[in-house]
Amino acid sequence: MPLRQKIFFLGIALVLFLLILELVRRRRLRVEYSWIWLASAVTIVLLILRYDALIWLTTLVGAAIPTSTLFFLCILYLALLCLDYSVRLSTLTREVKELAQELALLRLEAAERERENDRDRP
Amino acid sequence: MSAHVLVIIPAWNEATNLEAVVTELQRVRPVDDLLVVDDGSTDATAATAQRLGCRVLELPLHLGYGAAIQAGIKHGLRRGYPVVVTFDGDGQHDPADVAPLVAAVDAGADLVLGSRYEAPGAYRGTQVRQAGRHLFAQLVRALTGFRLTDPTSGLKALGHRGQTLFALARFPDRFPDADALVLAGRARLRVEERPACMRPSRNRHSMHDGRAIAYIFNMLFSLLAAALGREADLKV
Repeated sequence: MPLRQKIFFLGIALVLFLLILELVRRRRLRVEYSWIWLASAVTIVLLILRYDALIWLTTLVGAAIPTSTLFFLCILYLALLCLDYSVRLSTLTREVKELAQELALLRLEAAERERENDRDRP
Repeated sequence: MSAHVLVIIPAWNEATNLEAVVTELQRVRPVDDLLVVDDGSTDATAATAQRLGCRVLELPLHLGYGAAIQAGIKHGLRRGYPVVVTFDGDGQHDPADVAPLVAAVDAGADLVLGSRYEAPGAYRGTQVRQAGRHLFAQLVRALTGFRLTDPTSGLKALGHRGQTLFALARFPDRFPDADALVLAGRARLRVEERPACMRPSRNRHSMHDGRAIAYIFNMLFSLLAAALGREADLKV
């Protein structure tokens, strides 16, 4: 891997890393969501330092060139990320449903109690 | 003192149909408590229900049919109604069919469905829907042993255990039909069927055949989830 490429990708990894830290620091990103992004930045660095690992993986999966292995891994990674988001969305949907139901139930309860109080008042 | 039966009417933008449905129910079943669940309507559904003297459960968001009746059932459970009936707000159901369903629950059933196939002359809908119903009736029979003819019926009467099942967090909350029956079978509920004279829906946004086909695919997945789901989620 040429030096110019190494510097370029190291730069990208560094920016990603700092961005994540900043987002967590400002509490825009929850800590439990940040590790997956930090892991992505670390993976970029590892690939720069150990390019031979990518070549080894390429022969292992039988791909023609390292670039296709890299793209394949990226797509797989993004697909898994989407799946994870779908799971989280499903959980949130169920939670929003339960909260909306509870809100409606309590509102009805409160309205009926108020009506009863009005009736009891002389 | 609350009544013996709570009738839940899920309604989403039904202001125009609701009056006819509610007044007919009030005339035929004067002692029942009526609860209209306003499923995030943008029209005067809630106001209409209030004016007609119904109790109104106003959901702040549109949650869909299953979640709306689930909200109503949670209310029924908290108030301790022995029987809860779900009754569509679009004029499909006949209040005269409620009595036999309630009687079946009083006689010990946990979940009773109103079936259009047990009632001669009831409206049956298009061919696609009939085929869909038949498919689900067969699947339910294969998975639970229940011999039911109309597993997608929205007219249901629920006893205490039926209500508890429908109020579970993991309950299928889009269209609780065949998948709900599979869960009922796994929870060993007593499920029965009584004749019900269905009528065509008055609602313009009632499900058309295209959506019915999408429904079939969703329901097949939901059935799979119901059949393979964890036993621990089914404590009734």
